[in-house]
Amino acid sequence: MKSLLNRNEFYLAILIAVLCAAIGSLNPHFFAPQNILAFLKTSSVNGILAVGVLFVLILGGTPDVSFTAIAQVAEYAVVLATLKWGGNVGIAFLMACAIGAALGAINGFLIHYFRVTTIIVTIATFNVYYGLLYVLTGGGVVFVVPTFFKKFGESLLFSSHDAAGGVYGVSLVTLLWFGALALGWFILRRTFLGRSILAMGGNEVAAERMGLRTVAIRLFVFSFVGLLSGVAAIAHTSIVLSAIPNSIVGKELEVIAAVVLGGASLFGGRGTILGAFLGVLLFAVLRNGLVLLNISSYWYDVTIGAAITIGVSFSAIQQLRARRAKVNVIVTEAA
Amino acid sequence: MNAPRRIAHGFADAPLVAILVAVVALMALANPGRFLSPGNLASLAYQLPMLALLSFGMMISMLTGGINLAIVSSANLTGIVTALALKALTGGDSASASMLFVLIAMAVGLLGALASGALMGFLIAYLEVPAILATLGVMTLIDGINVVLTRGYTLSDFPDALLAIGNGDVLGLPAPFILLVVVVALLAILIRQTRFGFDLYMVGSNLTAAQYSNINVRSVLMRQYMLSAFFSALTGFVMMGQFNSVKSNYAQSYLLVSVLACFLGGVDPFGGAGRLTGMALSVVILQVVSSGVNLLRVDPFFVTAMWGAMILALIAINHFVGQRARSRSAAAIMTNDKDIRLAAGGADKGKIEERR
Amino acid sequence: MSNDLLRLQEIDKRFAGVHALKRVDFALRAGEIRCLVGENGSGKSTLIKIISGVVRANSGDILVEGERVPSPTAGEMIRRGVQVIYQDLSIFPNLTVAENVAMPRVAVSGRALIDWRSVKTIAHAAMARIDARIDPDAIVGDLPVGLQQMVAICRALTSDIKLLILDEPTASLTKVEIDHLLSVVYEMKQRGIAIIFITHKLDEVLKVADTVTGLRDGEIVGTFERSALDHDKLVEIITGKSVDQSRFELESGARKTLLEVRGLSKRNNFADVSFSLREGEIVGVAGVIGSGRTELAMALFGIAPAETGAIVVEGVERRIDSVQAAVAAGFACVPESRLSQGLALKRSVGDNVVVASIERCVGQFRLLNNQRRRSLVAEWIARLAIKARDPNVAVETLSGGNQQRVVIAKGLATRPKIFILDGPTVGVDIAAKSAIHQIVRSLAAEGAGVILISDEAPELVRNTNRILLMRGGRIRSEIVSSSLTPEQLQTLVEAA
Repeated sequence: MKSLLNRNEFYLAILIAVLCAAIGSLNPHFFAPQNILAFLKTSSVNGILAVGVLFVLILGGTPDVSFTAIAQVAEYAVVLATLKWGGNVGIAFLMACAIGAALGAINGFLIHYFRVTTIIVTIATFNVYYGLLYVLTGGGVVFVVPTFFKKFGESLLFSSHDAAGGVYGVSLVTLLWFGALALGWFILRRTFLGRSILAMGGNEVAAERMGLRTVAIRLFVFSFVGLLSGVAAIAHTSIVLSAIPNSIVGKELEVIAAVVLGGASLFGGRGTILGAFLGVLLFAVLRNGLVLLNISSYWYDVTIGAAITIGVSFSAIQQLRARRAKVNVIVTEAA
Repeated sequence: MNAPRRIAHGFADAPLVAILVAVVALMALANPGRFLSPGNLASLAYQLPMLALLSFGMMISMLTGGINLAIVSSANLTGIVTALALKALTGGDSASASMLFVLIAMAVGLLGALASGALMGFLIAYLEVPAILATLGVMTLIDGINVVLTRGYTLSDFPDALLAIGNGDVLGLPAPFILLVVVVALLAILIRQTRFGFDLYMVGSNLTAAQYSNINVRSVLMRQYMLSAFFSALTGFVMMGQFNSVKSNYAQSYLLVSVLACFLGGVDPFGGAGRLTGMALSVVILQVVSSGVNLLRVDPFFVTAMWGAMILALIAINHFVGQRARSRSAAAIMTNDKDIRLAAGGADKGKIEERR
Repeated sequence: MSNDLLRLQEIDKRFAGVHALKRVDFALRAGEIRCLVGENGSGKSTLIKIISGVVRANSGDILVEGERVPSPTAGEMIRRGVQVIYQDLSIFPNLTVAENVAMPRVAVSGRALIDWRSVKTIAHAAMARIDARIDPDAIVGDLPVGLQQMVAICRALTSDIKLLILDEPTASLTKVEIDHLLSVVYEMKQRGIAIIFITHKLDEVLKVADTVTGLRDGEIVGTFERSALDHDKLVEIITGKSVDQSRFELESGARKTLLEVRGLSKRNNFADVSFSLREGEIVGVAGVIGSGRTELAMALFGIAPAETGAIVVEGVERRIDSVQAAVAAGFACVPESRLSQGLALKRSVGDNVVVASIERCVGQFRLLNNQRRRSLVAEWIARLAIKARDPNVAVETLSGGNQQRVVIAKGLATRPKIFILDGPTVGVDIAAKSAIHQIVRSLAAEGAGVILISDEAPELVRNTNRILLMRGGRIRSEIVSSSLTPEQLQTLVEAA
């Protein structure tokens, strides 16, 4: 089996390694397990969302930008519902997934039926979902959430104690992220459904001719994104322990950029779970680095923006080179 | 064979005029006495330029199937850079700046916007980065720069000369409105009567064919995004005048509305089509709706949801109208099977954006 | 007839105002190789789409092995053993060879999980049947088009196939691959599989077919035994008219050298290309796919500039590093793909004609002079007899032949000295083909130099005064066209 790493993921991994080395040399606390586990935990939300974004990009074309609004709606709905009627983490997840999947399915239906690019439809649904959320909830912030969220957020696997007596370990939230990655990998690599998504992304006409059920596949992808958005919403609530209407919304472009930097193509048909993971990790390391190096928070956005711009430029240059180096003719020797 | 199709895309003007009339009537009915009052109409005329300038700027970028996600960020950048330049030139007392200083500061602000346009143009034209990603990157970059420049604060205290652009009036008509009319008139000439405008539409219709047709595509794309950024700059100036302040995140909801305006105005998101008259009608319609809804004191977030719903409704209408036209023209278009194979085989440099 | 594998009875199809198939009867026996010929618009592609189930006829029946198919959908026809290999191949460029080949079987098996080992097994088996040596883990999109086609064929062989439809299969295959394909086709015939072979290359029809069905204007002209046919008879079946036998003659006399190319090279595209072109000449460039002809054209026209070598136009060496430079030097080009490279389909005829020479219409204050533009458009529409009701009509509504005239007009409007034509009559109806040939000949007569790249031996032989043979990126030889027959040229091309 060819175990050649796709060039994109390879470069990304190296870049992350270099960054880690650089940050770590300036502030060794970067390498402390508490730190690493902490930033892994906080980037879990983006990480889970990234798996969904990956699926949409593989399916083809412009990205879905409404997933953060879906997550926000799910978050709010679950928080308000569980405040009113009680419940537990399991119910919270179920509710969030159901709401997310439903809103995602609406996206899928609109995109398929009207044959319009994903980005335009989802710009519209983003605003409908988000706007209605605000209108129905009055934009109020909820500062108190049911305790099971806190419990879930603080649960650890493989915990251990540090010198000061504090406990740290692998958070269940982080495991949720890894779980989402594993699920995404399994679907894409081991199921016929996943291969069909890739096929559709590669050549939708051919997929239809082969008898693949493109409508169902499209609906699945968008529902899946919604479902993952629901999962991310609960993860988010467990971390921030509040429901603030614009806490998730606003991250969509960063998540999309992370997935694209990880190697997913805007043209569809290409992208890996590893890439989606590395892309999110890159931004997580960057953010953590900025904090550890005591850089003023005003520089965060510029750094992320520069990272996105440089990243997409780099990908584009790579693709340009590949196109130019393509062998069009096998030139043979003169007689 | 069916009657040959004239070039007509999206919504021709007649339906838009009808929609405008309907919408005005609706708003007037919903706000009896207040909507059609001279005061309200005047405020409409003051608010329209901001929306319109951004929408025309967006339209320019969509003519080649691209998009300019950084349009609002660049407008904020212009305002911020101008404000900072003023401060630097006057040693802190911006309000007292002389006309010369105001002009210099504005020039610097304009340069900032043009630089962002040039960056986007470079990424798209020379590195062949898809427009969505290029402008997304530049948008986040500029947003970040804006935050760094302002440290999150709001800058204000501008001289009257500058405020006049947004607030003043000339012969009874709002200054920004006059600016809008003049700029759009010039844009019309640029698009219809210059080589650049012609090239722009040809590139938008088929980038590869444009290359083969002696058009310097890269130069066209560069100029296109700089022109779009120019409209951001103008918007920035108007915003300074109207808000009497600049901040790093003003007007962010306008991004969505400008895309909506382009859609409504008949701009084809794949490029190659878009008429100024359609755009003009479209922005007026949207401004009327916005003002009317404002008068009703509707929750602004409901308005956001409404814009979203409007895009969906437009897509639906476009789809149903398009379906009838599509089945009629399907038979009229002769296809060359080898070309389909070659086109699918991708031997040539194809269009940048997604195609269905 | 009860021993028909496939039978279509009274098939009728209309598309919004166009009567594509007029109560057509069609029958095919097992092991028969049938070639289907017809112009664009003859109903050929519609017939294929109906046979493969992609399109549903308005009325009429399809019978497979004597049994009527009540609901002929794509999936159903595949189940019945009908497979199509489309011109665009319908492969998944982002997946591996093995996965592409095995996909139909995997889809049919209905299993939710992928068994990668069985994918490999299926793929190996199919590839072994036609001795296709392709790396099963290669990403199909990275392969050259010829190999991609092999993948498509292997894929068709994974199921129990009774009828294979090949739509223009040899368009981009090398000679070796074409021979391979034909041997596979013959082998399938031995096994009782019927083949419908669609090709516009008439010499191929004569080589491959057992029988030939001709379609014209939605009606079947007839089905003929191969032995009763020759090239000219085929043309008559397809067009209803007899073939144009005239040849291009170059008058003797001194001629200025317009173009001299010396040692032009570009890695992985072509090497050491040298030739000259004089006024009034039409020089053909022949060669199989992958010989570098189009790449050479793209270098001369500045789309993909050469790396080393010299291009000398009228004695002056020119640096052709962009299309602008090429046009300024006096080149014009009709590219290989009319729809994706030659025309902006949704723009008007007038715009497409004038686009390359729009600078001539720039007047005062750098604004376009509409008068000048209109007259330029009118001049070229008239000169090339472009049939369009109105110059403002979208160019996509024109017929293939007229569209090609628009592309030619665009080039001519720049007043070129050297005209490069790459496959100018591909996909153009035979009647319109000769009209275009006349245009090209008159170009030469007016003093331009023409480079004609083509895959059609009859076209080259009748419209050039000499022909350059390219293979493997180099010019291998040069032949005089005057007494050359198409068959001789074809042999030379394949043997080069």
